[in-house]
Amino acid sequence: MIEVKSLTKTYGKNRGIKGISFSIPEGQIVGFLGPNGAGKTTTMNIITGYLSADIGTVTVAGFDILEKPREAKRHIGYLPEQPPLHLGMTVEEYLDFVYELKGVRSPSQKDHIGSVCEMAGLTDVYFRLIGHLSKGFKQRVGLAQAMIGDPDVLILDEPTVGLDPRQIVEIRNVIKDMGKSRTIILSTHILPEVSAVCERVLVISQGLIVADDKPENLAGSIGGERTLLARIAGPKSQVLALLRDQDGIQNVSELGEMESGSHDFVLESRPNVDIRKPMFSALAKAGYPLLMLRPQDASLEEIFLKLTETGHEKTESEEG
Amino acid sequence: MLAIFKRDFRAYFTTPIGFVYLGGYILVLNLYFYLYNIANVSTRSNSLAGIFSFMLMVMMFLTPILTMRIFSEEYRQKTDQLLFTSPVKLSGLVMGKFLASLSIFFCLLLLSLLWPSAIALIGQNNMAEVLGNYLGIITIGAAYIAMGIFISSLTENQVIAAVGSLGLFVGLYLLEMLTANLATALPGWAVTALRFVSIFGRYSDISMGLLALDDFVYFLSICAVFLFLTVRVLEKRRWS
Repeated sequence: MIEVKSLTKTYGKNRGIKGISFSIPEGQIVGFLGPNGAGKTTTMNIITGYLSADIGTVTVAGFDILEKPREAKRHIGYLPEQPPLHLGMTVEEYLDFVYELKGVRSPSQKDHIGSVCEMAGLTDVYFRLIGHLSKGFKQRVGLAQAMIGDPDVLILDEPTVGLDPRQIVEIRNVIKDMGKSRTIILSTHILPEVSAVCERVLVISQGLIVADDKPENLAGSIGGERTLLARIAGPKSQVLALLRDQDGIQNVSELGEMESGSHDFVLESRPNVDIRKPMFSALAKAGYPLLMLRPQDASLEEIFLKLTETGHEKTESEEG
Repeated sequence: MLAIFKRDFRAYFTTPIGFVYLGGYILVLNLYFYLYNIANVSTRSNSLAGIFSFMLMVMMFLTPILTMRIFSEEYRQKTDQLLFTSPVKLSGLVMGKFLASLSIFFCLLLLSLLWPSAIALIGQNNMAEVLGNYLGIITIGAAYIAMGIFISSLTENQVIAAVGSLGLFVGLYLLEMLTANLATALPGWAVTALRFVSIFGRYSDISMGLLALDDFVYFLSICAVFLFLTVRVLEKRRWS
């Protein structure tokens, strides 16, 4: 559905994007993840035809955005970082304008806009001036604007930014709903959002794609050796000695006393060894109760930091 | 194009801009009309030539109000992202905006029909003069609007757009004065060239009822050139 080939765009020195390529099949929800200034917005602006790349091509639904801009744009709904709202218009006037601007042909303009408003939760504010709406509602009007004309591809630049937690959940559900029948790219720097909504993650850092995978695979691949967090009641030194005696445990580090009479330990097992059962029996035999045991998967935050750090090093070495 | 036209035309009246523009004209010009054509019995005349040349002066100051927001405001509010990612041709977009401003200008002309109507009540209109003046003011008004739109496409600051347009209009006027005053000092070819590009010379030809095709082609070309330049500016923004 979306085909992006070696996009490059430079602004001044060392900004912009450096050869981004990816391809998104129909019906996928893809998350663009990256720190501020990584090139997410630039990439999205190029895909939607707002900016042009120095090098590279973008094809949407089989149409090149530069050669057949009108055909390609007909398939795209775009919610930019700042929703493109005319504050002096009511929601009704604005959506009518967008409908006409996009040259949408549907059996009934009123029904179409009505259904979009319902999806975006705008029915209650339909006759109000956009300038008087709260930020969350403005964001929804922006989302509704992107959905007018029922495009196959939705490109959403930080759709949940500035919303309160309840609105965030609502907007995410709207996006998930829409994603059932559409291809969606959404950018964010909020990591849990990606695992909540997306089927695939593209991590961008310093204008390069540093990872492209499913959110859960990303966690597994970077997590490395399995680490466990254990809280064990008993005297520290003896427990530590006992843990170090365990065959499967490669490394133990003590975190301190979080709950009186117990200590927390981070246990790193050898690859492909499950240490939980033998450790539990050993502790039980020695009379040190295990109060808590949970896997310490690398969180998306850590993965993200790791990836963007390596991306950083890579670009630096490239330049050097 | 129609969508843009409708939105922009409406926006003139949902913001104070349209009212300031029309109100400013009406206040100043009707006062002039009252003073010169009605009140003062000694100078009172049936001729509208005076008020139209006064309108030409006022136009230099009020047209920037009409055009300053056209693209600047879109850039500033980032609504240009909606325009430029919609399946619309840039030329259609510029044309829609041009026609919206032009329509406001026509609203003004509609209101100005008060003058010939009032004259008709108390005297006799010189129909050729009235017609010539209307044609002249329409052509030069359209040219000013096209220039103003072009200036507005260059900046996201409304004030700069307004001052820039004003500077352009006043500059053109000064050039005209200069040509008239230096006609004897300048070489003949330069005077001919300056006369050829002179907006006001052609305007006064039309307003005096000398309707020549080349004058209309000239004004049409000015509009076309500035609107085309606007399209190029918008295109260039994508590559910056």
